[in-house]
Amino acid sequence: MPGVAARKNQERHRDNAMDPPPADDYAKERYGVLPMIQSQEKPDRVLVRIKDLTGEKADEIVWVRGRIHTSRAKGKQCFLVLRQQQFNVQALVAVGDHASKQMVKFAANINKESIVDIEGVVRKVPQKIGGCTQQDVELHVQRIYVISLAEPRLPLQLDDAIRPEVEGDEEGRATVNQDTRLDNRVIDLRTSTSQAVFHLQSGICQLFRETLICKGFVEIQTPKIISAASEGGANVFTVSYFKSNAYLAQSPQLYKQMCICADFDKVFCIGPVFRAEDSNTHRHLTEFVGLDIEMAFNYHYHEVVDEIADTMVQIFKGLRERFQTEIQTVNKQFPCEPFKFLEPTLRLEYREALAMLREAGVEMGEEDDLSTPSEKLLGRLVKEKYDTDFYILDKYPLAVRPFYTMPDPSNPKISNSYDMFMRGEEILSGAQRVHDPQLLTERALHHGIDLEKIKAYIDSFRFGAPPHAGGGIGLERVTMLYLGLHNVRQTSMFPRDPKRLTP
Amino acid sequence: MPMYKVRPFQGGPDSAVLAEHLPTCMYRVRNVHRHLQGGGSAAATVSSSPQDEVDPSLQALESRQDEILKRLYELKAAVDGLSKMIQTPDADFDATNIIHADEHPSLTVNAADLDTLLGKDYGALKDIVINANPSLPPLSLLVLHSLLCERYKILSAVHTHSSVKCVPENLLKCFGEQTKKQSRNEYQLGFTLIWKDVPKPQMKFSIQTMCPIEGEGNIARFLFSLLGQKHNAVTATLIDSWVDTAIFQLKEGSNKEKAAVLRSMNTALGRTSWLVGSELTVADVVAWCALQQTESTNAVPANVQKWLKSCENLAPFNSALKLLK
Repeated sequence: MPGVAARKNQERHRDNAMDPPPADDYAKERYGVLPMIQSQEKPDRVLVRIKDLTGEKADEIVWVRGRIHTSRAKGKQCFLVLRQQQFNVQALVAVGDHASKQMVKFAANINKESIVDIEGVVRKVPQKIGGCTQQDVELHVQRIYVISLAEPRLPLQLDDAIRPEVEGDEEGRATVNQDTRLDNRVIDLRTSTSQAVFHLQSGICQLFRETLICKGFVEIQTPKIISAASEGGANVFTVSYFKSNAYLAQSPQLYKQMCICADFDKVFCIGPVFRAEDSNTHRHLTEFVGLDIEMAFNYHYHEVVDEIADTMVQIFKGLRERFQTEIQTVNKQFPCEPFKFLEPTLRLEYREALAMLREAGVEMGEEDDLSTPSEKLLGRLVKEKYDTDFYILDKYPLAVRPFYTMPDPSNPKISNSYDMFMRGEEILSGAQRVHDPQLLTERALHHGIDLEKIKAYIDSFRFGAPPHAGGGIGLERVTMLYLGLHNVRQTSMFPRDPKRLTP
Repeated sequence: MPMYKVRPFQGGPDSAVLAEHLPTCMYRVRNVHRHLQGGGSAAATVSSSPQDEVDPSLQALESRQDEILKRLYELKAAVDGLSKMIQTPDADFDATNIIHADEHPSLTVNAADLDTLLGKDYGALKDIVINANPSLPPLSLLVLHSLLCERYKILSAVHTHSSVKCVPENLLKCFGEQTKKQSRNEYQLGFTLIWKDVPKPQMKFSIQTMCPIEGEGNIARFLFSLLGQKHNAVTATLIDSWVDTAIFQLKEGSNKEKAAVLRSMNTALGRTSWLVGSELTVADVVAWCALQQTESTNAVPANVQKWLKSCENLAPFNSALKLLK
């Protein structure tokens, strides 16, 4: 009985839909798994970006490459959602002139997250498609080829990973926890939220460079393997360096300053910074990207403070103008108020902050450092009064700053140092540096630092050094706080913390 | 007795022992059930005789309750009286008493002490924050700023909030060139103007003890009070009323209302050189600015015209006028 064999054959086909199409299929040329691309040919085919599929392209035949985000077969047709970065479009395979029943089945059985090439006609839709970013059009598929097949079981579902954490009716629906995300970072990074976050982060770097280069800064590269701990000696990673030990740089501080002494006038650098702090908080990483600025000034370190603050304001403005789509995408999963700021930036003095805190009932000594809760409270108070998410706190007590901080000329208890805050959390710490070797030695001794260890540092100021100030910003923190996210791991692509070294 | 009795757990002499072990840090409450118990064990400490029908402590409690109720009734009556007075001020309110009670003669300028005016000093700059919309610059506040600058050492700052895209250059420089040579805490007062997308001007000072003040007239009253002018109740009310008239009728009212205000201003200025009395008050500042912003300064009655001139002769008004052009 040939019928039975044929049916069995068909069953097998159902089990493995990726088998070559049966010979009797009239559409067999129009679908299938392509051989691995080994750069065999250079076809003239133009692939259209999914974000460019709009009403203007209606009725054109286009080629698109994307991932299968979801697929849903219904009788003689199959709906696919194709995804490319943060954008997605609905595609329809329906039995007809171009597609056979087998082809629809093939399309329906492609594993999620596989990469496909699709040729189809762009059609306007009468009703907006709610679930897609390209709401006005859909793609009527004429050919579909698998370029790279994903495994059938995914470690996490993308839809779960972008679901907002809501309370009420939808509570209890699956979400993905942080560790699962980080363990499967490659898939987590494909979500629209992660795509938006890291596109925006790249924007921050770009704007930082743009603004500073416009202001006449020079980008420098500093070594990350150094011979002595740059700040004190604690919290530093030791690495073996041939027959002896070396350290990973905690900040480019020393080298920035040496560049100033070498007459580069205004420098900045973007690079990794290492901190061996065993603190498992939402905002500490052991490796992060530092955006560092150092600048020589004429008479007052506020020249530098104004320059840095203006750079931040330009970044905020640029993000608001160029990355609105990304901000909206992240907001869908993590709703938050838009970032507010003042221009020029609000600059308060430490004693004013203390007065505000005292008025709110927090008693602190004049030379105490801000604790994390008071930092947050202060952020709320400043927001309430000035309605800004970004401000500068100037004139910190000398006692809580590193030895190279320049003391205030009139009050020996305070210093020419400043922190900058976004949404109540510190993002930048900076100061006028001591550029006089005599005073630097005094300050180091006062802090009980072994002069031998910082000899090279002090020596760099012996041959005339311009007065200078600067500061360092954490890129991940800026991204996190600008978007109102709650964990710095969300804005670090492959985060490093005391408990995580992979991926 | 309707309840059933329970045999005491402790024997007679033991209960006394138990009583001694009670903690001493708490106060004692007399046992109200005591006179119902069998006399033997408790009799030793009972002070009142069990035959008494009413316990004196209960009596005391009752009288205290009566007293509290009485005071509540009195309070209620007082509040009722007050509310009546407020509903019909003209009928019931007799202002003469209050005028006599007011010690200050009209328009005495006391040396203003910012600490008493603005509350406790925490040893840092006191900063007044004003949010205003650049499309409707609150001229009167700028005049008041200049007036305050004449009296105090003021640190002025202008910021643009991210809610507005662009602010005209002259508004960004509305405080003139600032010489910020001193450190912040050497100033007596901070005056921070933020151009922001707000429907009405808004002022914030101490966020802990003060709610934000809204409206140009209200902020003007607050700022002017910092200059330390003291008035008796009638003058103060008159000034208040002019401020409201200027804001609600001259600035925001219809043409008819404006004309009426100008007429009454003309009458008032016929009697005195300023709107209220013989000295410049907040009423003049607000009315002048409202008039400037209605753009009809040419067709005003004679007395008002004269008054406009004398305002413009004062430097603070003059600098605000430059801003309008």
